[in-house]
Amino acid sequence: MSSLLRGEEMCLAQLFLQSGSAYDCISELGELGLVEFRDLNPSVTAFQRKHVNEIKKCEEMERILGYLLREVKKADISLPERDVNPVAPLPKHVMAIMEQLQRLEVELGEVTRNKEKLQRNLLELTEYTHMLRITRKFVQRTAEREPLQVQYEEFPFLEKETMMDYSSMQRLGAKLGFISGLIQRVKIEAFERMLWRVCKGYTILSYAEVEEYLENPDTGEPTKCVVFLISYWGDQIGQKVKKICDCYHCHVYPYPSSNEERNDVVEGLRTRIQDLHTVLNRTEDYLRQVLIKASESVYTWVIQVKKMKAIYYILNLCSFDVTNKCLIAEVWCPVNDIPTLRRALEEGSRKSGATVPSFVNRIPTSDTPPTLIKTNKFTSGFQNIVDAYGVGSYREVNPAPFTIITFPFLFAVMFGDLGHGVIMAVFAAWMVLCENNRKLKNTRNEIWNTFFEGRYIILMMGLFSIYTGLIYNDCFSKSLNIFGSGWSVKAMGWTKEQWENNRFLTLDPNVTGVFKGPYPLGIDPIWNLASNRLTFLNSYKMKMSVILGIIHMSFGVILSTYNYLHFRKKYNLYLVFLPELLFLLCLFGYLVFMILYKWLAFSAKDSRHAPSILIHFINMFLMQGDGLQPLYPGQTGLQIFLVVIAVLSVPVLLLGKPVYLYWLHNGSHRLGLYRGYERVRRNSEEELYLMRAHDMEEGSSHSDLSSSGENPTEEFDFADELLHQAIHTIEYCLGCVSNTASYLRLWALSLAHAQLSEVLWAMVMRVGLRMDSTLGVLFLVPVFGLFAVLTVSILLVMEGLSAFLHALRLHWVEFQNKFYGGTGVKFCPFAFSLLPSSFEHDGLL
Amino acid sequence: PANRELTFNVDHGYLEGLVRGMKAGILTSTDYHNLAQCDTLEDMKLHLQSTDYGKLLSSSEEDLTVSLVDSKLRANLVTEFSCLRSNALPPLSTFLDYITYSYMIDNVVMLITGALKQRDVAELLPRCHPLGAFDQMAAVGIARTPTELYSAILVDTPLAPFFQDAVSESNLDEMEAEILRNKLYKAYIESFHSFCKNIGGVTADIMCPVLEFEADRRTFIITVNSFGTELSGADKSALYPSCGKLYPEGLRLLAKAEDHEQVKAVANCYPEYKLIFDDPEPGADFKTLEDRFFEQEVKLNMLAFLQQFHFGVFYSYVKLKEQESRNIVWIAECVTQRQKSKIHNYIPIFPGTH
Repeated sequence: MSSLLRGEEMCLAQLFLQSGSAYDCISELGELGLVEFRDLNPSVTAFQRKHVNEIKKCEEMERILGYLLREVKKADISLPERDVNPVAPLPKHVMAIMEQLQRLEVELGEVTRNKEKLQRNLLELTEYTHMLRITRKFVQRTAEREPLQVQYEEFPFLEKETMMDYSSMQRLGAKLGFISGLIQRVKIEAFERMLWRVCKGYTILSYAEVEEYLENPDTGEPTKCVVFLISYWGDQIGQKVKKICDCYHCHVYPYPSSNEERNDVVEGLRTRIQDLHTVLNRTEDYLRQVLIKASESVYTWVIQVKKMKAIYYILNLCSFDVTNKCLIAEVWCPVNDIPTLRRALEEGSRKSGATVPSFVNRIPTSDTPPTLIKTNKFTSGFQNIVDAYGVGSYREVNPAPFTIITFPFLFAVMFGDLGHGVIMAVFAAWMVLCENNRKLKNTRNEIWNTFFEGRYIILMMGLFSIYTGLIYNDCFSKSLNIFGSGWSVKAMGWTKEQWENNRFLTLDPNVTGVFKGPYPLGIDPIWNLASNRLTFLNSYKMKMSVILGIIHMSFGVILSTYNYLHFRKKYNLYLVFLPELLFLLCLFGYLVFMILYKWLAFSAKDSRHAPSILIHFINMFLMQGDGLQPLYPGQTGLQIFLVVIAVLSVPVLLLGKPVYLYWLHNGSHRLGLYRGYERVRRNSEEELYLMRAHDMEEGSSHSDLSSSGENPTEEFDFADELLHQAIHTIEYCLGCVSNTASYLRLWALSLAHAQLSEVLWAMVMRVGLRMDSTLGVLFLVPVFGLFAVLTVSILLVMEGLSAFLHALRLHWVEFQNKFYGGTGVKFCPFAFSLLPSSFEHDGLL
Repeated sequence: PANRELTFNVDHGYLEGLVRGMKAGILTSTDYHNLAQCDTLEDMKLHLQSTDYGKLLSSSEEDLTVSLVDSKLRANLVTEFSCLRSNALPPLSTFLDYITYSYMIDNVVMLITGALKQRDVAELLPRCHPLGAFDQMAAVGIARTPTELYSAILVDTPLAPFFQDAVSESNLDEMEAEILRNKLYKAYIESFHSFCKNIGGVTADIMCPVLEFEADRRTFIITVNSFGTELSGADKSALYPSCGKLYPEGLRLLAKAEDHEQVKAVANCYPEYKLIFDDPEPGADFKTLEDRFFEQEVKLNMLAFLQQFHFGVFYSYVKLKEQESRNIVWIAECVTQRQKSKIHNYIPIFPGTH
């Protein structure tokens, strides 16, 4: 408990690690996650550190592992269970892993390359068959038109040569050449244009599209291709055409000169394609086998490499001692864990078989240690709420244990509805019961994770909402009549006439038998029928908000005493805490007293004479009000006394501390310094700086504790201190007013929530309930569906979030600014479990 | 146009934000300091991992070489640029295209000279700058005269308009290719200049000085390189871009210049160039003329980031990133050749930022 209230006591320790066993010791520490290492060579750049080569090796292994994981993922092989948690491999075993990985990489690379080559081959052959098939059509087309061509044979150079009449060309003695191949469809137009420009029309291009999509070997995307056939005259032009084909990345294939040859080639291609398919299938099978084998141990390797890299990273933070035989590391460690730390070091030394043991040595320090508050799954959510505002300064009071109760309570005050609370609690209870379910735990959905992390908070919020819902007697905006109302309508003795002629009738509690006594729990359900229900609830909730607020804030002020006592600043108790508390209680505490007094002192009988608290409270400040009837005898005197006390506490708060510190610094310079010196010897060094800090000045927070430790003779600046205190005083005194007003949000949100659920009931559910035919039953189904959806989405989720945020604000601002500094540094232990894996980040795991 | 700044973000705000974010990743002087301390390329890789380059260099299986570093850096720039280009709307898309044209000109000339030396196209293509890649690139070698080059191959490319003055029937030899490059570049830079001027607003305010500087730099370089060749004054002045600050008087004088001293005399009339041609102070590191121009260019490009709602940041980012690649390659070159003394001759970008 004391750990939760104040955080762990930390100490700076030196680890002397024998160079032989340092690796094992740090591995042991990494598994435990006990200590935070400090960098002892901050001036050395990353690549000049000692173990940079080992880290490079780890990175190389990570690269190979990344490659393996990508391939495994591509092949759609699922990774085996991830429950294994292998320890970091010994340095001598690393080489084995490295070799294994490299062998796998080479093997995989070879197989993949082979596969790619085969695929490329296959593609080429397929393209070739397409080309042959399609170009045959070009030729057939010309053959059909042959008769038409005969008469133009004498003018072979004219435009009609677009037909494939090469036999006539050959007769003319011109050397006719063919180039055929495939080109991507998007490029064909530009290709044709350039061909025309460069060759000035001495070519004929015919092309047709391939129906199927062919895979682009470079990108792996299916693309449309076009088969083309260029016929040209002369070598010169042939050269140019070839270059242009190159330029457009055409896949050029030899063009068969005769039909027989074409058939032969097609036949040959068919068999080769079949062969290739078999070979390709075998290669793929083999690849899969290799990958399955690799996938079995890949996860273990990932963990091992991660741990190893982390260990070397930590070793880089250590420094060598003069003899170079042992490493020195400086760590922050919780004092209570030092025995565990010792055992871990012994274990590490034993494992590595070192003759000289490694050991721990606590060293004194004046640095402020990091803050560690040990949490469990229940408290961690609440601690997170506090840490989101600011990590507590070292050993200052931690608001989290109180937040566990106050946070859900303040939430529930705003969210009070039995029905909504039950839904919320059931949902949270389900999450709590299934918290070990891996599917829920390991999801990547961030919104879900937020809810899941806060499942205990939601559970508490739900339970408290049930409670406040009972108090407000609200269940989906309707009241529950469990104990039977305390009011009787019968006793009023209304006649039938009265019933019919009046829209509103008033129940008079003074008539005997009408009011039989208060409802046992919460608001009487009869208010649900009353037309002045809202007025009644408003008055009640408003006063309740103020009461809760004042209690909450006073509690915050009282908590500050724990800080003052712990940091040995007793003068703060009299010069800060007391005036603060007096100011708050004399003004606003008195307001609470008046509210309670009025509730208790006035009953239904004399309620007509009940005075207005507001007027009385205003009159208290104006120091008048003779015309008013006092609430109780001696009221005026008491009020004047309280106001005077409150006003007097302001100058005490403003000047007390600076003046006292000034006097302490100048007047009692040699007197009574280090009163607790004997205790310093007994206690740890950590207390020493607290002692000094006691005699030193201190700012509004503990931020200068660390500097005071380093420089104990720091000058005391009266003006500075006065300014800080003036700001604090102004903030506090104005804050008392504005914070009290701020607590009225409890009333406002609770009102909004109640009204919204009532509107939902009236506008949706009541419409469905009004239909009094059989059809109405059917109609009720969609209406209820709508009601349920709106209830969950608006009232539970949206209203819940808004109430959550307001509760958060009330804690962060109104409560915590009374005592909480929140200027600490979080303790980040070196723990393997906290290290992120780069593969997880890339989504490979 | 008057309220262009008002509506700038509608079309180009996202990309400007993007490019400013990328600019934040430009290596700082601390990075350069650390890089210069490296002993091997592996060290450099390790250090670059902590910068925005991330795993760029470590993802390859091959051993690191300087040329690999160079091509990786270049590929990185191309990725970033194509991301910008594919998200750009006119007129920014045209502006970005203009940036690529200068690379296209260089590619064309390199392919021509390569073809003259009977090199294989397949060997030349990887050496082309990917920012200036275009479909017809591989066919450039077919052309024998500039006219043929234009009418057969480049007429479809965006370079076509720049050919107006460059069309000639003379055979393409190395000299002619160089002249072609300069003629194309002159037309390009003039066209870019007038494009930026037409856009107006801050873009013109930022881009015009940068382009004017670029034009003048080329003028100086052409002049200095022409010493000892048979180029006449008239030939030279046909190559000078006429949009710079030197136009017209400086160009006329430079066309007549015959040695370094005369060029210096011309530069002395212009305060911004006087510094570049000044003799180095004794004791200071010697810097080549080229480096001094680069330094000046970096300075001008850094100014672009001081204003908002204009296109200049895109141009400047590409140029600064290019300079950064040159710096890294320089350091890598020094590291591999163990020339530690020259390692500090890179040109720092944003020296004040950390």
